[in-house]
Amino acid sequence: MNHLSTETPSQRAVVHEHRVKMLFFCTTLVLLFLVVTQVHNMFVSFLMSFVTYYLLAPAVDYMERWGLSRLIATLVPFAVLTGTIVTLLALFFPDLLAQSRAMQTNAPKYHEAFITMVKHFEEQLSGTFGPIDLQHKINTQVDSFSTSFFEGAPQYISNSFTVLLLTPFFSFFMLLRGRHFMRTLLSMVPNSYFELALNLNYQIGSQMGGFIRARLIESIIVGALLWTGLEMMDFQYGIVLALFAAVMNIIPYLGPIIGAVPALIIALSNGGDGNQMIEITILFTAVQVIDAAILVPFLVAKIVDLHPVTVVLAILIGGQMMGIVGMIICIPVISALKVTFVALYKHFTDFRT
Amino acid sequence: MTNYIWQNIFRNSSKERGLQSKLKTNFLFQDLSFAEIAMLEKIVNVRNYRPGEIIFRQGEVGVGMYIIAKGLVNIYVEEIVPASGELKTTHVTQLRKSDFFGDLALVENNGRRSASALAHEETTLIGFFKPDLLEITNRRPSAGVKILLRLGEVLGARLKETTNKITEMKKSALADSSTTVDDELT
Repeated sequence: MNHLSTETPSQRAVVHEHRVKMLFFCTTLVLLFLVVTQVHNMFVSFLMSFVTYYLLAPAVDYMERWGLSRLIATLVPFAVLTGTIVTLLALFFPDLLAQSRAMQTNAPKYHEAFITMVKHFEEQLSGTFGPIDLQHKINTQVDSFSTSFFEGAPQYISNSFTVLLLTPFFSFFMLLRGRHFMRTLLSMVPNSYFELALNLNYQIGSQMGGFIRARLIESIIVGALLWTGLEMMDFQYGIVLALFAAVMNIIPYLGPIIGAVPALIIALSNGGDGNQMIEITILFTAVQVIDAAILVPFLVAKIVDLHPVTVVLAILIGGQMMGIVGMIICIPVISALKVTFVALYKHFTDFRT
Repeated sequence: MTNYIWQNIFRNSSKERGLQSKLKTNFLFQDLSFAEIAMLEKIVNVRNYRPGEIIFRQGEVGVGMYIIAKGLVNIYVEEIVPASGELKTTHVTQLRKSDFFGDLALVENNGRRSASALAHEETTLIGFFKPDLLEITNRRPSAGVKILLRLGEVLGARLKETTNKITEMKKSALADSSTTVDDELT
């Protein structure tokens, strides 16, 4: 008799129980997904909380090794991080604010310079390829972006405030009780998928952690290098431009180009003999060379083993779905999907040993 | 051939206890302090199975071991008979309370289960998986080392036991063949 395939009343009960458990598990996942994506400010708050969680988790585990309770081990790195952020804000926020205001005041000048540059470019292209209406298209885009940015500024500030309040709250409880929550969630998984779910949770978690920490450190170094370079060149808005480039650097391939655009526009609008434009180009290229030759091989490579074509496709899809945020989060999301598909394939393809 | 790797050689005749004492009396965790056992209790996964329910199937990717807290577990090996091409299921052993199985998966990378495990009656298992072992090693390295040393001992003993059985079988096979040759000569 084949004990592994005989259908008994007990096994029918097992199948029923599996279906019920699966239904509850999937419903919980769908509800969580809806809460995170549909409740106002929840998605960005959760995203920031995950970043904070993965940033602090190794420190919390390290503190726990010294015999501290999980609560104390969570509180100490949290206090250190808060102290660091407050100190950095106290040191750089006045400059950042002043630079942002100056940038906002000079925005029409940069806009005008940019349009003049586009006009020149358009004239040259029209001479070769026939009439092109590049200026009108770009002008419409820039106008709509500026209008939505300035009109939506009060809303952004209000949202940022909510996110700033929710992020520490969520990340603190993720660090303190995150494992317990995952255990409770995993306990709902039917027995036949339990090992698979547990392993997936672990693999995705460790890959996310490694990726987020590596990308964060890489961006901080890139931002610091650019800021130093811009300050050495005595270029205006050093902090704002370096901060923007550092955030954009998280997006693979396209990020560094997007990050360099504002600095190049400002250099162009400043006029002069064009030396500043060349210096800015050299600075951004040099930092990108350092990033590609030193930072990426040591920090990021091998953490997410994705083909460049997959990465570009993921960025395009992410950008189309959620704009800049989509472009930033698409790589960890796609790598999590890859881990899931590989694990599911291995689980469901039965190789006899 | 009987799969000796599934025989429990660390059987412990313990009575009904709580989860902590069940863990403490297990061969793998017996060196852990009470604080470490308390931490382990919050990491391991308690799962309940109905009679006949499959715990894992041969060929599936395994990520950890199970300790029987209550009930009985049957271990089967499925193999295809070369002559007929049919799938033959062989009952290898029955494991009972306090026994543990699947420990090889703790050290293998994406290793597949070499046998299937089924609950014989209402069974409660304590699952201890590779992510749990890594979590302990990360949070309390000393506890992780204690578990890994014991795990090494278990795997070493299983290997020794299997080697001895194979040696015995080879010896008896050799003795049989020499008897046949002697018979033929006489």
